[in-house]
Amino acid sequence: MVLDFNTIYYPGRFERLIEDFFRPQPGEGRRMAFPPLNLSEDEANYYVRSEIPGLAMDAVELTLTEKSLVIRGERPTEQGKYYRQERPAGFFQRVVALNVPVDRDKVRATLADGVLTVVLPKCESCVPRKISIDVA
Amino acid sequence: MSKNTENSNESKALPRVSPATDILEREDGFYVFMDLPGVKREDLNIDINENELTVTGRALQGASEAESFLEVQFGPGEYVRAVSLSDRVDRERIKANLKDGVLTVHLPRLEKLAPRRIPVQTA
Repeated sequence: MVLDFNTIYYPGRFERLIEDFFRPQPGEGRRMAFPPLNLSEDEANYYVRSEIPGLAMDAVELTLTEKSLVIRGERPTEQGKYYRQERPAGFFQRVVALNVPVDRDKVRATLADGVLTVVLPKCESCVPRKISIDVA
Repeated sequence: MSKNTENSNESKALPRVSPATDILEREDGFYVFMDLPGVKREDLNIDINENELTVTGRALQGASEAESFLEVQFGPGEYVRAVSLSDRVDRERIKANLKDGVLTVHLPRLEKLAPRRIPVQTA
């Protein structure tokens, strides 16, 4: 029958819906926006990581402005007759607001296995320094 | 031995993620595209059972211990996804390719099933 070919129908769908509703979702952020971003820092650098599968480095446009880091690009659509399409396609853009001073000339970006890593070194002159007071 | 159990514990601790998958048909067969960001070639396994193609891969994010996270929208995970194969797929000629975190699996059609005209012989 027609239902056999419908990819949306599967047995237990309603039960799954109820389960999903009551189960706390640890990966809730996964579906928020494309591409997902991780922001972290250590003593020397800030790190911006992002999952952008399917794009080469030259297809990703990174812009560093005074206050923000912009990640832009386009995911191409494959040609053919689709049975199932879950991968997001089309233009994307994410803006990371930088409220902190960074060393703009030493920013590095790498893209390996679909994971983009941008390293933003903390500005040398902005790192808080301890000033020792000598007692005369 | 203890190392093995540690490893298995570690992989159990990783959350299971179903990767986003496109399945489409072209003239030369079926194509399956999967987003597997962060998965290296050696961490990826593709198994074919009777009529199920199972893809498993582990993505470990290369963050060091010293980093403190301000925002987390993705993390390390174990990708698991099974795709059922039609009888029309030629299992011997399946090709897989991993590039920039996207796995492409090409499933060619069985050539035997191409329409064939049966010649009628006159006795």
